[in-house]
Amino acid sequence: MSEKNSKLKRRDFVKKAAAFTAGSIAMPYILPSGRLFARTNADMADHVVYVLFAGGVRQQEAVLQQYLAGSQDVNIEGNIMYNMLEGAAPDRKIVYGTTPDGQPVGSQPIPKLLNQTFQQMGTIFPEVQAVNGGHYGGLNSLITGNRATGQGLKRRPRYPSIFEYLRRHRGFKATDCWFVGNTIMNSVPLLNSSNHPDYGTQYGANFVAPSITFGGDGYATLANAKVYHPQEELEPIYRMKAFLDNTFRVRNGEIDGIRNTEEEKINIKEFVRDIFNRGSVPGPPVSDNGDLRNIRYAAQVMKWFKPKITVVNLSNVDGCHSNFSGYLRSLHRADHGMAWLWNYIQTQIPEMAGKTIMIATPECGRNERPNPIQDENDWYAYDHSGDYNTSRVWTTMVGPNVPSNLMVGAEDNRVGKATDNVLTIAEIFGVKNDVQSAGMVDAGSASLFDRI
Amino acid sequence: MQIFSKLRHLVESAIVPLMFIAVLLSSCEKEVVATFDVNDVDVLDQNLIKTRLKSDKQFTSILYTTLYKRAISVDKLVQTERVIQSFGDKGLIHEIIVSNYMNSGEVELPSDSFMRADPDSFITATYRKFYVRLPSELEKSFFRNYIEANPNVTTELVYTAFAASDEYQFY
Repeated sequence: MSEKNSKLKRRDFVKKAAAFTAGSIAMPYILPSGRLFARTNADMADHVVYVLFAGGVRQQEAVLQQYLAGSQDVNIEGNIMYNMLEGAAPDRKIVYGTTPDGQPVGSQPIPKLLNQTFQQMGTIFPEVQAVNGGHYGGLNSLITGNRATGQGLKRRPRYPSIFEYLRRHRGFKATDCWFVGNTIMNSVPLLNSSNHPDYGTQYGANFVAPSITFGGDGYATLANAKVYHPQEELEPIYRMKAFLDNTFRVRNGEIDGIRNTEEEKINIKEFVRDIFNRGSVPGPPVSDNGDLRNIRYAAQVMKWFKPKITVVNLSNVDGCHSNFSGYLRSLHRADHGMAWLWNYIQTQIPEMAGKTIMIATPECGRNERPNPIQDENDWYAYDHSGDYNTSRVWTTMVGPNVPSNLMVGAEDNRVGKATDNVLTIAEIFGVKNDVQSAGMVDAGSASLFDRI
Repeated sequence: MQIFSKLRHLVESAIVPLMFIAVLLSSCEKEVVATFDVNDVDVLDQNLIKTRLKSDKQFTSILYTTLYKRAISVDKLVQTERVIQSFGDKGLIHEIIVSNYMNSGEVELPSDSFMRADPDSFITATYRKFYVRLPSELEKSFFRNYIEANPNVTTELVYTAFAASDEYQFY
């Protein structure tokens, strides 16, 4: 072969490869909804981890860093979320840490995990409007982008969740979408999908509550499950099941819960088996509450499935209804857990490292004034019953294409709504217009990228 | 005046016997001898309509009884119900629970040799056990052919398919 001929062939190959690559990027494909999806631009990130920093967080102890000064009439300020926020920790009356032997409760702060804070690495919206003052309503607003007015407990969200938007308009699989819930109480297991007729469970996310699934109940019920051979045993089971299901037609939505494909089911079964076989999974250096244990399993879900979107729910701070010191400890641990999770993604999950945007927002704030309950330090507890302070939350966002070291808004300049997150995630995955066109996101909401 | 009084007395004294006679006459009817019987009804219909989804509790309790031939304890029932609630894909978690039961060594399964020797009887018994109905000819035919064509199919796999099927979730 002559050199000239070789060059021509190489050029031809490069041209064809370029054309194929361009074609594959712009190539429309058919979505589950039957529509064609034509990519107009690349995703802003490959993965989103969305932390529902829930339970009700007061601005005073979070972004305002007032520690006891904003709540107990004790003039000690400081930052107890020092992985997320810039600012010095309190120097007196330390109750939020761990308890070394013989020392006062919570007197040892948990060491900082990150070299750079979320604030330095990403963008913070320090004064955001929460649109619903209740837990379930607030979680609904974070997941659906809707105000969730009239949303009943023990009912699936009335409006589509971000999972359904992504699965329907972006074509994600069920195992691309996970909700890692910290409980099966308070209707949390219903948050993986709405019951909206145009969306619903057929587009829902996988839900798991690790404290149950991988706790004592799960161990007793699932750990001894047989591992069937995929071809010799599972295939006949599914073949026979398919025949049985074909002779008994079930209308969509009649059976509650989402459905994975057979391949996805096999994968999930292997995951469950793997967790039980390992016995324990890595977690944050301090893992002494439910939120942190939930985070450790969320990390395993990510490591195994590399989901496009993982929602992680926290709620221990809600102990603030009766124990302010406990609330401070939970807040400090939530910061610790988020930092560990971010670190884990960057160092232990190469497929997600550098390609993941993490977003966190509390579902609601808490009251400005306390209730009469005092804890062991004689500090007053706080409810969330709907005053202005309850509507005050914050959002942090970090990852590729997120401006670093940026603060948008201030205490006296509210920018953003809790419902913005759905449009933000939709924008990250290129379906913002579809979500807006569906017309169910709360009026006045916008992608946070549009607010920057 | 006296005449009126006598008349009144006469009428009053006649009313009671007249009423008595009227009651006697109206109550005298010919006795009808009724014989009650029960029509034969096939309770194991092929077309049994199941419209109601079993609750997690019902599903677990019925499944356990179907496989173990004994009632589940309350503790185990609550435990299993919580695990089902902790998972989004109910069908998948049911499959894992069934395979967990199958691995316990306590499930009462018909032998594979019985299934292969008399597939029709096995299929009919399995439909009755799980679906509380008889199989149609189409259903019998499918399973007969499938079992015969696949030597690796065991009674355990058939039971698992039935327990994981949509119809088994309804009653």
